[in-house]
Amino acid sequence: MILSTLVFLPVLFALILALWPQKNMIRPMALVFSLIHFAVGLIVFQDFDTSTAQLQFVEKHMWIEKFGIQYFLAMDGISFWLVQLTTFLAPLIILASWNSISEKVRGFHICFFILQSAMLGSFLAFDAILFYVFWELSLIPMYFIVGIWGGSRRIYATLKFFIYTMAGSVLMLVAIIYMMYLTQQAFGQMSSNLLDFYKLSIPFIGSDFFSMQTLLFFAFALAFAIKVPLFPLHTWLPDAHVEAPTPGSVVLAGVMLKMGTFCYMRWVLPLFPEASEYWAWIFIMLGVIGIIYGALVAMVQPDIKKLVAYSSVSHMGYIIIGLFVMNHQGLQGGLYQMLNHGISTGALFILIGMIYERTHSREISQYGGLASVLPNFTIFFFIITLSSIAVPLTNGFVGEFLILLGVYKASPWAAGFAVTGVVLGAAYMLWMFKRVFYGEKGPLVADEKHPLIDLNVREFVILVPFVIMVFVMGIFPNHFLKYSEASIDYLVKNKSSYQLTIKGEQ
Amino acid sequence: MNFTVDMGDLLLTSPLIALFIASLIPLTIKVLKGNIEQKPIATLTQALLGIIAAAGLLVSFGGEGNTAFNSVLVFDGITLWTGLIALAAGAGALILMFENPATRGTQFSELIFLTLSSILGMLILISALDLLMIFIGLEMMSLSLYLMIGMSHEQRLSKESAFKYFVLGSFASAIFLFGISFIFGSSGQTNILQLLESTVQLAQGNQLFLFGIVLVTVGFCFKVSIAPFHAWTPDVYQGAPTPHTAFMATAVKVVSFAAFLRIIAMKPLVGSESLFDILQWLAVITMLVGNTAAILQNNLKRMLAYSSIAHSGYLLVGLLAAGISNNGSFAASGVIFYLFAYSLMTIGSFALVSMMEKTEDHSLDVDDLAGFAKRRPALALCFSIFMLSLAGMPPSIGFFSKFYLFNAAIGEGLIWLAVWGVLNSVISVYYYLRPIVVMYMREGDADVSHAGHFATAITIIVTAALTLLLGVVSGPLLALVEASLV
Repeated sequence: MILSTLVFLPVLFALILALWPQKNMIRPMALVFSLIHFAVGLIVFQDFDTSTAQLQFVEKHMWIEKFGIQYFLAMDGISFWLVQLTTFLAPLIILASWNSISEKVRGFHICFFILQSAMLGSFLAFDAILFYVFWELSLIPMYFIVGIWGGSRRIYATLKFFIYTMAGSVLMLVAIIYMMYLTQQAFGQMSSNLLDFYKLSIPFIGSDFFSMQTLLFFAFALAFAIKVPLFPLHTWLPDAHVEAPTPGSVVLAGVMLKMGTFCYMRWVLPLFPEASEYWAWIFIMLGVIGIIYGALVAMVQPDIKKLVAYSSVSHMGYIIIGLFVMNHQGLQGGLYQMLNHGISTGALFILIGMIYERTHSREISQYGGLASVLPNFTIFFFIITLSSIAVPLTNGFVGEFLILLGVYKASPWAAGFAVTGVVLGAAYMLWMFKRVFYGEKGPLVADEKHPLIDLNVREFVILVPFVIMVFVMGIFPNHFLKYSEASIDYLVKNKSSYQLTIKGEQ
Repeated sequence: MNFTVDMGDLLLTSPLIALFIASLIPLTIKVLKGNIEQKPIATLTQALLGIIAAAGLLVSFGGEGNTAFNSVLVFDGITLWTGLIALAAGAGALILMFENPATRGTQFSELIFLTLSSILGMLILISALDLLMIFIGLEMMSLSLYLMIGMSHEQRLSKESAFKYFVLGSFASAIFLFGISFIFGSSGQTNILQLLESTVQLAQGNQLFLFGIVLVTVGFCFKVSIAPFHAWTPDVYQGAPTPHTAFMATAVKVVSFAAFLRIIAMKPLVGSESLFDILQWLAVITMLVGNTAAILQNNLKRMLAYSSIAHSGYLLVGLLAAGISNNGSFAASGVIFYLFAYSLMTIGSFALVSMMEKTEDHSLDVDDLAGFAKRRPALALCFSIFMLSLAGMPPSIGFFSKFYLFNAAIGEGLIWLAVWGVLNSVISVYYYLRPIVVMYMREGDADVSHAGHFATAITIIVTAALTLLLGVVSGPLLALVEASLV
């Protein structure tokens, strides 16, 4: 029941918040709820078995008999940390929204909790239709968060986000239905159980683009590529990030983008092993282009938030190439980088939100010399910047190193190009840091009428966990990697005969 | 032929009889009282009781596939389920009529009489097993509707709309009748049961028969607004009083599709490849026309009209799947479930439009909803649920109905139609999200001062709750429908 509790507890919270009479209690209650949710998430640590790739905490019930659709939740090493990341970020996001969301507080928190539910559901679902329901459901609250609490071009951004993402996923729905018919052919009973999907052997002819596995592969891969987002499908992301309110950006960068990369590991690689191997070059190429392109575009952005948004495109490119080289280091690194990106980019968006609350501007040229005015803020920003550019001893280093190692083993050329992204990453982040925090005081910083105040207690409370995570994950990576070790190992070794089993079931 | 009427026939047709009696009660009372209208609430209650009685009788005696009056009427699964949907949609429309400024007040009992007569025509239409009987049902339903629209208190648009609907509807009926004559001429039959065995051969070899079938199909395409026979829909939907629009968009469409399904179930598509091709392309065009034209609309009713055209396109895909399937009941149950889901969402949406109307000639634009979320948060949420569900977002019933429909289509190998359908639903997201954008994200003063429509509000909330929740538990419901169709 633990997984159902994890997934549906936020819905219950949302209902309570919707019906609660006092308006001024909404924020504290939401904070307490998210802490409870986080604590519930920690329970799985106790019983999680790191030695096996099998599914754990399984909950399986028939839902729609006729089509073999099941309510099937389970956890394994791949989803373990992503679930933890989702619940870890929630209280920090609510704290970060304390001042920035001033209108329709109740509505915001309801949307937020429903979003949590949908994201967790799509991480944990092992039934294609159940997964699709969660996957699509996650669009609706995000659509409202950007559209209602966003910036001036919010409606354009939110519509673009919604339609772009949905356009990708409807083809996946057709592919899912088609695969359900394949299970009917193979096993006599229609099923949308992912474990049954894994058992299918779908015919693949490499040279023929219209062979069944290739088509299904692209139907799935397109949906996830838009979500990731993979160059050249990334154009919705900078718009959505710039217009989204701070908490919206944090969820989007921190968790939602990971739904895309996670699904490559859960769905695409094991379901279509031959096609993923045959077409991997496209994804590696686009990933590398994304890394370099994202970094170059980030470098010239005048807006800090847009800079971070493009840096996301670059970082997500790393994850994609890590996954598609399909060796142990690449996959481990990819998974680790998902967590790192969630932490470091999430923290960056929160930091940008903090400075935006003070000055109402994100123009880099308006700043300068912040370090002498806001010393504490500068320290935190610097640590997160280091994490983002993957300096050793921070979490980013471990992920990027593993990915590059894996990529080098498979394709030295790709690794060579990807490494330039590391340099470029350092360049745009440090250059931005220099322009914002050092040099002559910019007009906003020097403004005598609005003196800037350094971090308050609430902001310290938000930032400290991020910094702790940056170092813990950077210094003790094995503690984290060991949870996904068995699952990744199984995926690498049994690529073409991937058949997960349920723990405790023969 | 003998024309004896036995008890079984009367029991089977008892829903029709009950509805007929109920339709006369308000009128009789009015006459007896010396042409003075009784309280509208009493009229409404009598009508709703009549509908409930009809539904109860339909459930108790129908649904087992028995035929009445020498195999002219049949009461099988299609009749039962589409009948229930039509009755429920009719009841919803009646509640809207009770409170809408264009229909309430004077002449309410006449309106109720016409509405119930129209529903009676619908029940004949969906239970008819004879082509001529289908025609009678179709005409009874439509003639009442023309009058209903013409009776509106609004003076300009509704008259134009009634006239337009009348002329085009008669045209469609004539084509339909013409088709029947060809079918009769080439096969010597008008009874579907007897035609059933020979349709495939006749459609393969007999050009005259095929011509008849095509004309009958065209007649139905008019009724369910399949492009290019859809041109009347936006004008009529916009001009008619909103409750009548709701009635047309749901009940009329449901029963027309049910009768269409009966014709398709004769398997003419198996016999004639070209007929299948024609309908396939009509489905493609309809989805595209409905969805792209809806994007351009500002008037909410016009937008919903185009959206209903688009949904006809999706339904036609399901109909095609049913028409070529060996196991027709699977695809047919998908179609019927889709009709149910579609009616639920559409009645709810039109109920909100009806509620927002201040005077009888008030036309509601999408922009009039600005700030509505602030004034009426619960109703705005309901409307958002309808819109998202119409767009097919999970976990609403709209998603599951699309899933069942396209599942059937993919099962029959109509993959590219399914792909086209889902891509079109992406286009549709754009205009379905627009009212939500306006309600939630734009500042404004939605005029809700007059909106004290209590019964309408209840209708909206109930349909919204069902829209949201029924999808999740739709599995058993679909199984039930499918089981009754075998």
